[in-house]
This record gives sequence, C-alpha cells and structure tokens, in this order.
Amino acid sequence: MNSTKLICFVLFLVGVIALAFSINYASSILAFIGLGLVFWGSILFYIRPEKYVKETLLDNTTLPLLVNLEKILKELGYKSKGVYLPPKYLKNFESSLVFIPSKTEQPLPKPEEVDEEKLYSKNPNGIFLTPPGLTISKLFEKELGTSFTRTDLNYIQENLPKLLIEDMEIAENTEIKTENKTVTIEITNHVFNEICQETRKLQKTHESIGCPLCSAIACALAKATGKPITIEKEEQSKDGKTTKIQFSIIED
Amino acid sequence: MQFPLNFWDINLWLAVTAIILLITAELISPYYGQTNLLINKKKLKKAALIVGILFLITIAIRVINFIATP
Repeated sequence: MNSTKLICFVLFLVGVIALAFSINYASSILAFIGLGLVFWGSILFYIRPEKYVKETLLDNTTLPLLVNLEKILKELGYKSKGVYLPPKYLKNFESSLVFIPSKTEQPLPKPEEVDEEKLYSKNPNGIFLTPPGLTISKLFEKELGTSFTRTDLNYIQENLPKLLIEDMEIAENTEIKTENKTVTIEITNHVFNEICQETRKLQKTHESIGCPLCSAIACALAKATGKPITIEKEEQSKDGKTTKIQFSIIED
Repeated sequence: MQFPLNFWDINLWLAVTAIILLITAELISPYYGQTNLLINKKKLKKAALIVGILFLITIAIRVINFIATP
C-alpha cells in the first residue's frame, strides 16, 4: 500500500470511528467531523492520478527511435517531405503510414501499391514508415471516443484544443487556423517540447516526418480530411514555449 | 441512539462541500495552465458535480415539503 492510499484509508477509518462515536454520544460536532473525514478520504482515494511517468523518461525513451529513423533517412539520402497517407491508400483504415519519396515532385503511390508491411516502395521509389505519432493519434481517438476517419477538418478544429488541453492535459493552449489548403496549429507549453527540440537536431527526421506530436496531428488530419498531409514547417517561438506547426493538405 | 445530524445539517454540509469542490475543480482546470497537478481532474469535476446535484436534490425536497405542507 503506497502512502497516498494509506492516508486515504486512515482518513476514512478515523471518519467512520468519529461517526460511530457521534451516534453513541449524540454529538453533532463529531458527526460533522466524521462525515467530513469519510468524505475527503473517499474523494482523495477516488481522484488519485493514474500511473504517471516523469517527462524525462518519456523523452529518453522516444529519442533513440527517432535517431534510428534519422539514420535510415540519411543512409537513403532522401530529401523529400514525408507524406502522411489517408486511409483510402491503406488496407487497414485505422492505421497510418508516411510515405517518403526518393525524389521531390514524385507522384504518390497508387493505393494498390501501398503495403503497410513493406518498407520499400519500387513504384514510385520511396519508403513507407510507421509514423512516430501513430500511437499518440490512436490515444487521441480513444480519448475522443471516435475514429478520425469518421470525422472531418471542422471536427478537428473544434475538438483538438479541448483534447490537448483538458482531456489529455498535454498542452496549456492550442490554436488552429485553416486557410485554403494549409492548417496551422500553435501549441503552447506542451509536454513534448523537449522531444520536439531534440527532433529539430535530427535534420532529416524533422524535415520529413516531424516530432511525435506533429506526426500524431498529421495522422489525425490525414484521416479526417481523407487527403495526404505533409508537415510544411515546424518552428518554436523565441521563448521556447510555443510550437507552430504548418500542415499542407495535398490534392490527390 | 440516533444519528445526530438532521436534514438541514446535511443540506448545509453538502452546500459547503459542493462549493469547495466546484471552486477547486474550476481553479485547477488545465485551462488555467495547471497541467502538472497530479490528480485526476476529470474525476474531481465529476465528484464536484455529483455533490452539487445532491445539494440541489435536498433543496428540491425542502421546496416540495414546503409546498405540500398546508
């Protein structure tokens, strides 16, 4: 039994004893004390947080995976931006895939050419990677209670701020702007700040796939809009608190 | 031997508790930048609302009693 549980249990127990004495001695003061202790003991037990990990642990677990991605991209010498493919390109609609073409201005692969199990694509040349933010986007879906495939851009615009701030508690503020085929998202004081900063040092990964948070939002946008998405720009404000991400919706 | 608190006492206790919980739930909301508090804010909000509703139910009972009494 950890200390929080023990404190809750002691509060509850003392409260029950006080209530028992209050009935025995007909004391309303004891009854109030007992009622309060029982109540707060139960409340503190009920609102205990779920298991949590330190932010540094999160950063250090994710970073090596991104370094590996950087190695692959460097080795291949690809310079193009990664394209987050919408569900219509995939066999599993609930999955996400990022396609990195070997050359810029290369067309996207045809849906029948896309295979989630494959790493390399021959027609057109490029690689298929599982986005680093795939599981985070699935977590978003779980929290929202719906799949992004059943939503649209308006839904994302209305629900993403609440999701990131209130439901997931990973950011202090989120703003979304949509102009033509560009979606700009500004996220302030988010828990992925450190990882995003480290990702910026990994040039290829930063340019083509983005940090896990950008990647998760790109997966969500690709599913919601049903169109391929690229991360055009990802920058941090001078004070280091706000991350501004610009996504581009590609007409296929 | 009987429970020393009457209906009005419980009513008052619920009112005070509901106010404390509702204010706390609002002040520690992530919208005010409180994203590093290690408590389950959703559950706290739920508990605050339940206590608040219980208080309103006690009020409703009093009002019905008041109307029903000739």
